[in-house]
Amino acid sequence: MRIGMLLLAVLILVPALSGHGSDQKITAGCAANFMVPFGEITALFEKETGIKVEPVFTSSGKLYAQIVSGAPYDIFLSADEERPAKLFRDGLVEKPFVYAKGEVVLWSADTKICGTGNWVSAVRAANIQKIAIANPETAPYGAAAMTALKSVNLADQLKDKLVYPQDIGQAFQYAFTGSVDAGFCAMSSALTEQGKKGCFLAVDQAPPIVQSACVLTKAANRRDAQRFAEFLLTSEALKIKEKYGYK
Amino acid sequence: MATSSILLPLWLSFKLSVVTTGVLLVVGALLAHLLVYRSVPARSVVESLITLPMVLPPTVLGFYLLVVMGPKGTLGAAWQGLTGSSLLFTFTGIVIASIVYSLPFAVQPLKAAFARIDRRLLENAAVLGLSPMAIFFRVVVPNSLAGFTAASILVFLHTMGEFGTILMVGGSVPGETRVASIAIFEAVEALRYRDAWIMSLVLALTSFVFLIVVNRITGKDANAVAG
Repeated sequence: MRIGMLLLAVLILVPALSGHGSDQKITAGCAANFMVPFGEITALFEKETGIKVEPVFTSSGKLYAQIVSGAPYDIFLSADEERPAKLFRDGLVEKPFVYAKGEVVLWSADTKICGTGNWVSAVRAANIQKIAIANPETAPYGAAAMTALKSVNLADQLKDKLVYPQDIGQAFQYAFTGSVDAGFCAMSSALTEQGKKGCFLAVDQAPPIVQSACVLTKAANRRDAQRFAEFLLTSEALKIKEKYGYK
Repeated sequence: MATSSILLPLWLSFKLSVVTTGVLLVVGALLAHLLVYRSVPARSVVESLITLPMVLPPTVLGFYLLVVMGPKGTLGAAWQGLTGSSLLFTFTGIVIASIVYSLPFAVQPLKAAFARIDRRLLENAAVLGLSPMAIFFRVVVPNSLAGFTAASILVFLHTMGEFGTILMVGGSVPGETRVASIAIFEAVEALRYRDAWIMSLVLALTSFVFLIVVNRITGKDANAVAG
């Protein structure tokens, strides 16, 4: 019995310990809008430095709440400036820096919906029954889309059409599968392979989205996280960001 | 704002649970009746299908429902044709999801209750000339009240606590699909701990009180069923 327990402990501990020491790895909490460029940038980063980047993708608000509760991320890529700034004031992260500027679009799998050429008339059309908007409370892209809706006095009028996915990735998924007729998405989603199968309209009333990143002060692998932070601003990374509509 | 972000989800959960319980008592009684008193082809397959939602991860169930109730799914397309509106992200949609999700919790206690009724009672009633319908309402139902109580409370509580499935097919529409469990999840993620505390406390207390009630009313029977 005792030997069995010991064996069990060894079996569990050995791979866990050896896995820790052998290869370099950082964990990143990344806003869902940046998922596709993030994958390409980390692939490049891994090839050049041998450092693995393991991402967690969800809304910035959720990542923020996780970091406040002590989540073991090394770096945080937010979809806004406010949350990293707040974490910085609380001493939880190093000085934030802007890594991308994104844009909200209205995306639909049905290319006819973009025929109007104008997002306001598109969302008001009778044949649009459901529109996805990422939960504005935790998703900056959803908050920006809500600002746009309010600025044209449509937030109340469209109340019955709005569906609230958990993050901007789920908003695109709902729109892509046709579960909703259109969705407020990130420009970056519209420019992916899947995004090109549908159509999108610019949402000019939505404020541009300034996205900040920051290394956590408690990062387990602070040096590699800082290296990745620098890599985010290189010309190679910029090329990938531009491909997906970021400025 | 603060009250509606707490009261509305709680009210919605309550409404969803009441509607689901009502529908499932009828559907569950029908299915349990067929399974206990009639010869059902491929019985083991049918029984497994009914029990499946109990063991499936709610996300798997949610994913299937998302596809079936979507605009290209059989159910979603038929609903769209009939009513002209979408089934996903509506109250009706989460009622259907809850019915599937809680089906075993209605069928199992009712099946157990029906099976315990003395067959001679039913045979006597038939000999005395009662129609099958009359036998069901005048003999079977009065003799399985404990089963009905257990089924309704289990379905009610199970639906109150439903999360993963609704997260996938609900879309968190306030007053329509943002039930308490989803609202708690979102409140925690947005660091609104006060809201999360209040709603969690209400759900925990409700479940606790109902379980005491079910234990009091049905005694050993329900314990055996709820297991």
